[in-house]
Order: sequence, then C-alpha cells, then structure tokens
Amino acid sequence: MALNGIQIFKMTPKKNCKECGCPTCMAFSMKVAQGAMDISACPHMSDDALASLSEATAPPMKTIKVGTGDAEYTLGGETVLFRHEKTFVSKTRYAVNVCTGMDDAMIDDVLEGAKKVDYERIGERMHVEMLNVNYHAESGADKYVATVKKAAELGKTLILGCKDVEVAKAALEVCKDAKPVLNGADASNYEAMSALATEAGVVLGVTGADINEIYDTVAALEKLGNKNLIIDAGVKSIKEAFATAVQVRRAAIKDEDRTFGYPSIVNVAALAPKDPYMQAALASLFTMKYGSIVIMSEMTYAEALPIYGLRQNVFTDPQKPMKVEPGIYPINGGDENSVCLTTVDFALTYYVVSGELERSGVPCNLCISDAGGLSVLTAWAAGKLSSGSISKFITEEVEPKIKSRKLVIPGKVAVLKGDLEAKLPGWEIIIAPREAVQLVKFLKDLTA
Amino acid sequence: MLINRIFSGNDAVYGLTEGAIDQAIAQHGAEKAVGFPNTAYCLPCYYAVTGVKVKTLQELKEALGVVKTLMTRNHELDDALMSGVATALCAEFIEALKYIDGATPYEEPCYGHLADAIIRELGVPLVTGDIPGVAVILGAAPTAQEGVDLVKSYQAQGILVTLVGGIIDQCKELGLNMGYGVRIVPLGYDVTSVIHVVSVAIRAALIFGNVTPGDAGGLLTYTSQRVPAFVNAFKPIDDVILAAGAGAIKLGFPVISNETENIVEVPGALIAQPDVSKFNATSLEARNIKIKITKIDIPVAFASAFEGEIIRRGDMQVEFDGSRVDCFELVQSKDASEIEDHKIEVIGPDFDEFEVGSKQSIGYIVEVAGKNMQSDFEPVFERKFHSYINCIEGIMHTGQRDMIRVRVSKDAYAAGFRAKHIGEVLYAKIKNEFEAVVDKCQVKIYTNAEDCTKLRHELAIPAFDKRDDRLSNLTDESVDVYYSCILCQAFSPSHVCVVTPERLGLCGAVSWLDAKATNELDPAGPCQVITKEKPIDESLGSYEDVNEAVKKFSQGALEKVTLYSIMQDPMTSCGCFECICGIEPFSNGVIIANREYSGMTPLGMTFPELASMTGGGVQTPGFMGHGKHFISSKKFMKAEGGVERIVWMPKELKETVADRLNETAKELYGIENFTDMIGDETIAEDPETLVAFLTEKGHPALNLEPMM
Amino acid sequence: MPFNQKPQKFNASINTVEIGCGDKAIKLGGESVFPFYTFDGPIDNAPKVGVEISDMGLEGATPEMLAYYGEGASFADMAKKAAAMEGADFVCLKLEGGDPNGEDKPIEDLLAVVKEVGEAIDTPLVVEGCKNVEKDSELLPKVAEALQGKNVLILSAREENYKAVGAAAGLAYSQKVGAESAVDINLAKQLNVVTTQLGVDAKSIVMNVGSAAVGYGYEYVVSTMDRIKGAALSQDDAMLQMPIITPVADEAWSVKEAMASEADMPEWGSQERRGVTMEIMTAAASLAAGSNAVLLKHPQSVKTIANMIKELV
Repeated sequence: MALNGIQIFKMTPKKNCKECGCPTCMAFSMKVAQGAMDISACPHMSDDALASLSEATAPPMKTIKVGTGDAEYTLGGETVLFRHEKTFVSKTRYAVNVCTGMDDAMIDDVLEGAKKVDYERIGERMHVEMLNVNYHAESGADKYVATVKKAAELGKTLILGCKDVEVAKAALEVCKDAKPVLNGADASNYEAMSALATEAGVVLGVTGADINEIYDTVAALEKLGNKNLIIDAGVKSIKEAFATAVQVRRAAIKDEDRTFGYPSIVNVAALAPKDPYMQAALASLFTMKYGSIVIMSEMTYAEALPIYGLRQNVFTDPQKPMKVEPGIYPINGGDENSVCLTTVDFALTYYVVSGELERSGVPCNLCISDAGGLSVLTAWAAGKLSSGSISKFITEEVEPKIKSRKLVIPGKVAVLKGDLEAKLPGWEIIIAPREAVQLVKFLKDLTA
Repeated sequence: MLINRIFSGNDAVYGLTEGAIDQAIAQHGAEKAVGFPNTAYCLPCYYAVTGVKVKTLQELKEALGVVKTLMTRNHELDDALMSGVATALCAEFIEALKYIDGATPYEEPCYGHLADAIIRELGVPLVTGDIPGVAVILGAAPTAQEGVDLVKSYQAQGILVTLVGGIIDQCKELGLNMGYGVRIVPLGYDVTSVIHVVSVAIRAALIFGNVTPGDAGGLLTYTSQRVPAFVNAFKPIDDVILAAGAGAIKLGFPVISNETENIVEVPGALIAQPDVSKFNATSLEARNIKIKITKIDIPVAFASAFEGEIIRRGDMQVEFDGSRVDCFELVQSKDASEIEDHKIEVIGPDFDEFEVGSKQSIGYIVEVAGKNMQSDFEPVFERKFHSYINCIEGIMHTGQRDMIRVRVSKDAYAAGFRAKHIGEVLYAKIKNEFEAVVDKCQVKIYTNAEDCTKLRHELAIPAFDKRDDRLSNLTDESVDVYYSCILCQAFSPSHVCVVTPERLGLCGAVSWLDAKATNELDPAGPCQVITKEKPIDESLGSYEDVNEAVKKFSQGALEKVTLYSIMQDPMTSCGCFECICGIEPFSNGVIIANREYSGMTPLGMTFPELASMTGGGVQTPGFMGHGKHFISSKKFMKAEGGVERIVWMPKELKETVADRLNETAKELYGIENFTDMIGDETIAEDPETLVAFLTEKGHPALNLEPMM
Repeated sequence: MPFNQKPQKFNASINTVEIGCGDKAIKLGGESVFPFYTFDGPIDNAPKVGVEISDMGLEGATPEMLAYYGEGASFADMAKKAAAMEGADFVCLKLEGGDPNGEDKPIEDLLAVVKEVGEAIDTPLVVEGCKNVEKDSELLPKVAEALQGKNVLILSAREENYKAVGAAAGLAYSQKVGAESAVDINLAKQLNVVTTQLGVDAKSIVMNVGSAAVGYGYEYVVSTMDRIKGAALSQDDAMLQMPIITPVADEAWSVKEAMASEADMPEWGSQERRGVTMEIMTAAASLAAGSNAVLLKHPQSVKTIANMIKELV
C-alpha cells in the first residue's frame, strides 16, 4: 500500500533543512506521497528509512524516458486505471511507420507526410512525435541503416522495429545519441538485445507470442538488471493486442505486479494494414485504453484533428478544467463593428459557445476574460466572473480594438447587468439565453 | 343510517342487474357475447378486480354470483364500501348489456364507454400532471349557471371533467362547448353510466400501474394514490347514488356534495359542502390536487434577464427602504384552515397614493400551509424572495429579512404594476418551486407605516430571532439525521459531503437546513438522508450508517469517514472548499489557509499546493477542506482537541472569524482573545518563527499531545 | 513463473434490453465485464451500430452519403438503404425537423415520416425526437403510439419531460425508453430513479448519458461512462445498470473539424474524410468507455466500427 504524507513525514529527519528544495519536511513528504518527488531527494534520510520508503513509495509503473532535447518524451508512470481517479500523467505518443520493404520513393513520401501535421491546440503543439522504422529482412541491413539515418534527420524520436541483433547494432550506431527505442527483444534474443540496448543507453521494447511469454521475457530481462523497458502488445490480432495492453496495465496498477509496470507500444499499422479507417478506430481505442505509443501508417489532418483532441481531453487533470487563453476571438468573420459576446475561459464552455456562434453564421466577437477556467455559474459564485472582471477586460482589451458597443453576457449571470451598465458607460448590455443551444436563434433575432 | 342506505341502494341495483341479465338471457340466449367495444379488457372493472374475463351472458350471470359474495351485511363501514364496489360492478354489467349486438346506446353529446386508445392517450397527461385531476360531476346543480361555472372552473385548471345526469342538460342549456377535445366529457344520463369513468381509472391502473388483474388490493392502492379523481354529487342524493359513491370512496375518490339531509360526513371521503361555488376548492384540497401556475398574472415581464436590472433614483416611482423606515419580508407556516389559497391582500395605500420618488414602508408576509411543510423551510423560501422580486421587469430588490430595499420603476408603474403584483409573483413562485411541501399559500402586503412598524417589531423580528436561536442551538447531537451532498461530484467524482448542523458543506454554501430542504423538495436529488443510529465512536464522529452512506454515494471509492477528526479517515474534499487546514507538526497544531490567500504558509505549501493534494475526494490524513464557518465550530477537529489546535491563519481570515472563534475558545477552554495567540503571515511564514511566536504567547497547542 | 491473470469478474451485470421484433431483434447489454474485456468473461451481446436517418432527408449529406442513398430518395427508401448498410444493426430516425427553433414541422408531418419508415423496414428502430423538451413531450408519445407493437426505443426522456415520454413509451405503448442526461453520473442515476418511480420497468430503459465529439470536453463523457460502468458492475447499483446508447454522428459532424470546407481549410484535406475519422474515432472512444450502442451516419464509419466490434468481441 502506498504511504500517506504523514507516514512519510514521520521518517524524515524533521530538520526543515530545505536541501531537497522544499521549504519544510512536511511539504517534501506530501510531494513524495503524491509521487511528485523521489524519496532519495532527501540527503538526511537514514539508510533504514530510505530502504523501507523506497519500496513503499516506488510507483507501480515505471516512468520511462525516450528521445532527447525537444523530442524527449516521458512514458508510463501512471498510478490509476481511470482518469477520474487521478490525472493520467504521460500522454499517448503517436508514431508513423516506415518499413524498408517500401521503395525509396514511398519511404520519402511517408517521411515527408509525417512532417505535415503540425499545429497548436489550446496551448499544445500537435505533431507526429515519433517514427517507427521497421526492418524488412529481404531489403537488407544497409537499406535499414540508410533509412534510419534519413528518418533521424526529421528530429523525431525513433523506434527501431528490428529483431536482428546485428542490424539493430548497426542502426543504433547512427542514432543512439537521440535515444531511440530499440523495439526488438523477444524470448529468442532478449539477452543479446538487452546487452545492446544497455550499451547504447536506450529503452528496449519487448514482445512475445502471447502475454505469458512477454511476462517471462520481461522477468528475465529484469533479472539481467534491465529495467528500462517498453512492452509491445503484439500484432497477432486486434483482440489479443487489446487484451495484452489492458491486462499489462491492470496487472501493474491494480494488482501491483511490478513485472508489468512498463509503458506499452501498440502497432495499429500492423494490426490493420492498408485500412486507414480501422487504424483510426484503433488509434482511438488504444488512446483510451493504455497505449503509451501508438504506431500508425499515416497521420494526416483527418486523423490528427480528432486523435489529438481526444488525447488532450483524456490526459487532463479531472480537478483542473482546461482553459483557453483570454482574448478576443472573431467568429464568422467578426470585425471591429461586430457585436461582442463574453463568457468564461473554461475550455468546454468556450467550445460549446463558439460552436453555436459558428452555427449562427452571424459575425461576432467572443471576448474571453480570465475566469479561472471555471464554468459560468461556478466562476460567478467564486467571484472570478464579476462585473469588475468583465468591465476591466472590456475597457482594457476590447475598447481599444472594437468599435461595437453591444455586449452580450451569459443568461446565467443576468444579475450582472446593472453593475455592468454602471461600469461600462456607452455599452449596451444584452442578456443571452441561459443555454448555449439557444444562441443561434437569439443571435439571428438580435441582428435581424 | 348511512350504511343502511348504502346497503339498500346496493340491493336495489343488484336487483335491477339480476333482472336485466335474466331478461337478456331470455332474449338472446346464454351464449350471447357481451362486452364493450374497443377494449382488450372485456368488462374492465370486473376483470381488474377478479382477474376473470367475462365474454358471454352465461359468464356474466356467474360473475353476478361473485358480486353477490361482496355484498356482506355486517353493519361496518368496510361492508358498506364493499357494497359500493358491488354496486359499481353491477353498473358495469348493466352498461355492458346496452352494447349487446354492437348497439350504440349513446349518442351526441354523450360518450358512454371510452376506448382503450383514449386511456393510453389520457394516461400520459395524467401521469405528467398536465391533467392534474379528474372530476366526476353527478346530477343537476341548483341552477344551470352554478353548474356551468363549476365545470368551467375545473376546465380552466386543466382538470378532465366527466358529467353524468342533469348537469349535461344544464351545460347544453347554456351552450357550453363539450367534448373530449376540450376535456369536458358527458358520459350519460343514467347513474350507471358513471362506471365509464371508473373504467378509465381502472384500466389506467392496469396499463400504467402494471397492476395484475385480480390483484384487487394493488388496484385500490393504485387508484387511490395515482388517479387524482373525485366526485361532485348534487343533491338530492338517493340510496343508489350513495351506494355508487361508496364504490368511489373505496377506490380512493372523495365525494363532495351539497346534500345535507340524511347524510353523515366521513372525513376526507364524504364531504358536505353546501356552497357549490366552493366545490372546486374543497375538492382539490380533499384530493390533494395542486394546480401548476404557468403564467404569472402581472402587467410586466418576469424573467431572469431582469435579475440584474438597476433602477436609478430618477427612474423610481416609489422606494421601500428598510434602512430608513420599517420594512420586512417574512414566510410563516400556518394551519391549512387559516389560509385561503391564492388570496392576496393589500393592507394600506397602493402605489398610486405615494408621492413619486418617495420612501415608504412595506411588509409582506407569505403564509403557507402543507402536510409536509416544516417551519425550517421558512428561511429557505425567504432567501429566494430576492431573486423572485428581482426577476420582475422594472423592480429592484436588495437585502433580506427586515433590511430590504425595493424600488419600483416609473415604467413598471405606468404599465400597471401595483402592490398586489408582488403578491402574485411570490404566490406563483412559492407554489411552483416548492410544490412538494406547499399546498396552500396566501400573501399579505402591508403598506401603512404603523402596521409595518408594529408587525416588524412584534412579528418579524421575534420570528427571525427564534430562527437564529434554532440555528445556534442546532447541534449534531440534537438531530436524528445528517444529509449527504454530492452536488460537486461532476468535478470530484468520489467526494461526498456529510452535512451536519455544526459542519456545513465544505463549500460553505450548503447548511444542514438547506440540505434538509433540498432533500424534501427533490427526494431523488443530491441530498439524501443519512441516519446516525449505529455509532462506532462518537468522539471521532464515526458511524456505521455514515460509512455505509459514504461508500454508496462515492460508488465504493471511500470506505469510511469520521466527522470530527482530521487524522483518522478525515472527510474528503471536492475542490470547492473555502479553506484547508493542515497539520503543522512542529507546534502540534494546524494551520488554516483560505482560498483568497495567495502567500506561503508555515507548512511550506501555498493554498493551491495544499488544494492539489487534498482535493478530488481523496482522503489525506492530516489535511482537510472545510467552510469558513466551520472554523469556530465546537466540532472543528474535536477528536484532536478542537479549535485550540489552530496555530496559524492568514490575517484576513483570522479577522473574519475572530469574534465567533474567540467565543468558542472561551466556552471550551476559558481562553480569552484566543485569536491573539494565533499566528498569521505578518508574524511567520515558516515553522521556526511560528513556534517561537506560539511559545511567547503560550499557545495551548504546544502542550497538547502530539497529533501523530 | 507465468503471468498471474486476475480476471475482474463481477457478480452484477448490465441489463439486457431487447429492441425490435422477430429474427432481427437486437439485444443491448447483458455483460458483466468492462467494455471489450472478453479476457475477463464472455460478452454475449456485442455492442450494436445504428444508422441515423432524418426527417430532413439528405439535407447536409456529404457527397458519399448522397451517392449511397441516391438523391431524392423517399423516407422509405432511405430507411431500407440504412438498414442494408454494411455493419448496420438497427436504424435510428431523427425527427430534428420538429424543433420549434428550426423547421418547426407539425407533429402530423413527422408522424407520417415515422409511419413510412416503420412500415418500410423490419430492422429494429430507434426514434429520436427534436430535442426541444416541450415539443418532444407532445411528439414522442404520439410516435410511441404510432409504432405500437414494434418494440422501438424512444429517445429521449429527459429530466424536464421524462413523465410524458416515459409514461407514453414505457407504460402506455410498451416501447423502450431512452433516458437522456447531461454527462454526469448522478444526473443519469437520478433520471433512472424517477423514471422507474413512474412505473417504467428498469429493464425497459436505455441510457444516453450524454456525448461530445472527441476534443470537445470528451473527458467528461469518458469519466461519466467509466464511473457508471464501475458503479453498475462493482457496486451492483441497479439504477445504473441500464445499457448505454450514444449518439455519435450528431456531435462528430457538427464540429469545426468536420464542417470546415476545403476551401476554408486547404491544408486540412478532404472534408468528407475528416468527418468520417471524427465519427469513427468518437465512436471507438465511446465504445471503449462503455457504450452498448452507437448512432452513426456515414457508411464508411458504420462499416469500420462494426468491423472493430467484430474483431474485439
């Protein structure tokens, strides 16, 4: 069982020396209990305490790092099976697949294609983070190394899908500094692969004929001292890959079986070859259920827009709602003469409201002030959406840019109208309906 | 006497039925088919009561034998009521015989038997309350006008009106538009035709109540609880009508009559009301029918869009200002007999008599009555007045109790808004929103300065004082139940607040009284009753029942909580808490940080840091979210010694709670000015400085047992 | 030492609700494991895919959908084509034209469409109202009446109109009742409680616990469904054991990603394909979270999702 902060605190030296970086031993203990800090950060812990705490506070699932620099990603480290229990901490990462079985032109196409998707959504850069370079034996080692080299130029983290130890070794020579994943160990080659991965300092991917073989191989690798692993859920069938991905994660977190306490790779490109629609469905499925890396044949905007949206939703803190940046968002070609509407910066509210505004076809400006990321009524109750906060935003940000002096406020805070009229002389304050779905008709009537 | 009359009426109808069946058999033969058109339930009443389907005259004859067994003649009320049922079944038999050979015994405007399809269609609005009741009017009113007025009064309320006998001709005489579409259904002239509305109620029980045919008990329960029907029978009431009425009563339908001769009232069942104009009110009250108010009768608009409207001095027709003159608003619960529903009285001059822009007195008392009304709900209703009155276009309201200010704009006045309209709004909103507990409501509006002064001091202030006393005397020990609150589970899935009188919800917004009212008004809603019958450790505040409730409402995420400890199974926090308290190990105490405080605490954690580890419905021993009000509670971490553990609070918070906290500390420990011993950010933001301060002040926590 | 498999078997199960009649009738729910966890126990009734058609005909249909249905198709034709779509288990008729804030079609007109569709196919049918609570409380009881004997699912009874819709569909005309609430486990439960208190059999209720397109607050949908399935199975909460139906098409096709034209967003590529992947990914996520049925509209989505279900169960 995990220890709580008080239990950990009891074992600390209680000196408040601040050497761990926390102001007090209590603050440090609480952070360790949350899994936010490691117990070893305390330099004054007795060996006994350290030994018993390390075991008890060790996370059920290891945190594995791949890549370097901007392309460094953290995988695993999850503590729960469902996002409502606690935030999922390590996002699913998406890789595009190239295989040396493809001809050169095709390889170039795929690599070129992997660069295309790159955009920002609610403050997060969305792009293909990884490339899977699959080894096709008939095409030979040289082509593989050449392809790896070419792929490495994109600056994305590589996954080397290669079970041939010699070929892998050659490939690692050209890319190991960028910390790729060497996804090639199984029951037949794990010792050599492990040695190779350890020497190169890279994460090793492990797979097997079935979940039991994977388990045994991981156990054997751990015995060799290699705990820098990722588990490949396999490509035998969709059903089995799903069963493996779910059971690996569940064993680690629910049953505290540390052997399966590693992140996972799911290769949907191989599970549904040449069927981009099925791959889309599977990418979504494995984003929901426990894929740490998902490999796809391609990532066009058609796949990217929904999958990155899903990921952004699933990997949010259930306590902290997503926020949009305060600012003026013109909709339907709204300009300085278009009517202004205001609401909170809670992302869900923003999306619902902006969606309805778009449907109305009426040019307008959606003015979002900082309301602490709360919904309208919650923000109002918490004092984060008040006549003061709105009028300040309008006078400072909106008035210099917008000529229209019509401001529509959410129906749920109709109570602010009088105060706003007093604080915003010259503005006509209009009450919107209480529900966003009524906005379309309301706006059409308003501007009719 | 009443019972004998019923027996005699029943015997008469039985005799008629027997004769009619025998004659029909003689005419058509025993195998002749018998039944009503467009129903799958044969003779629905008989089928529902016995589970037997009657299809031929022979079977009808046998059924009559069964009916005979109901006609026991002990001189008891129940025998009389069963004879009433027997009378109804006989009526059904007689009516069925009329339909032999596909005959159409009823013609315009009478309907006679109603098809199953109509019942399926009627059942839905009956279930939703769109048809709030079913009136059965029998006989002829003293005058046609009185009869039609009664019918129209029901029609205006959306009640389905069925007519039997002379009332039909009275309606025809005055040209009343009748028919199923306008919810006025003449059944027939014979008293036996009343069975067609009974048949509607009974088939509704079979279709909508899943009552099994033959389950007479289930049937009677359904009709009495779920079919809001009642009977208005005009005099003279003969024995046959009385016997049929007994059947209605057995089904749970009260009978209201203007007959006063040879009749004995049965409370709630057979009611004498000599004044026909009061039939409507008497009937609705007897059957507990509540009419939804869909439109508030005022000359200006009513909408939440007007809630924030500000009426400036220059736009003001008149102002009632509780800070200058005597004003008040008050809800009082009364006995039902003291209230005439929807009576709105204005006592004193109306707005017309006030000088434009002047300050005047006003006092309005909303009197309510209801079987489930409790005086604890009075402040809950009263707190809504502000929003109700503000939603009126052109009216502004601030404050509460006897510190209110109401402004009426010139525009509203010009549109015809007067004092009584305030009453209309309060009446309509209270009746609609608190339908579950308010049966009757009337409003008195006083505009005389003398009245307002007198009532404010003699009625309102004592009432407010009494309430405050009740609140301050309300302790966890003095109540039998607590309430759960899961309003914030949307954000904090496994969190459950246990709301007790001394520990309001940690958001600070839900008191025990609020939770109680929420539960009464919305029984399936977010606040549920938690019993406290199985204590485990009362000093910790742990109860088996509380644990069970917490487990249930958190969907198993939490196993147990204590009410008064922050160390052992502390209550969880959602995320909307006003404050967090956390253990400060170096002083044996706790610090408290409130949401508004943005600085550092001596724990080395800021409010957001503390919040991130205590929120989300997770139990974090040593840390707990709570409301500001809870800080001065005698139950605040009682298990660890109570408020004397508090060693640090942000200055602003300390000042807010100082008076009440000092009072508690004095009462519990005899410490004067306890807050002077408590640190704040101007004194210390780290544990060492804090402990030095506490030592200097001699803070009691330093000498208490260690908390861990 | 081999992997110690610890199946999560629950003593509780999701209710089985049958929709439709005869050979083509479908069963929703019945499982006592989490979605697609066939390694824990059998899932007898795989999740089902419904194809949406609308009383607005092919208004707003994509080129591929137009090609599939054929321009000017009658409602009966559309219903037949929808039923024949590869992967379709049932058909869902949406009466969106009834919305007073939109076309505001009279109830009689809508009933004519309902009857036409009801007569055209023997595939199980779901009928969805116009979503305006007042109009639906008039419209849906009439729909339930018009389709007597067909054992259809009526969407939806909501907090504001569950009495009218629930009483008509669940009691008067013995259809199945869809109980719709807004992405909150407690609201969902509360609606089930009051609907059953009305007399509607808990086993005649299918829940729509709310939906969104992925990227649009979808985390609430995920957590609501995760928690409902958790409470239903591990807590044996009878008021949350109703199977879940999720309208996906409505949400997926009305977000910017699916609606922006290629002219406006040239770098985004084919609009149709964007809509399809949005629909597919939203449907796959909904099924992973616990939907027992999804409502889709594009033939490619229907085919792909049906295939995915087949592969997983």
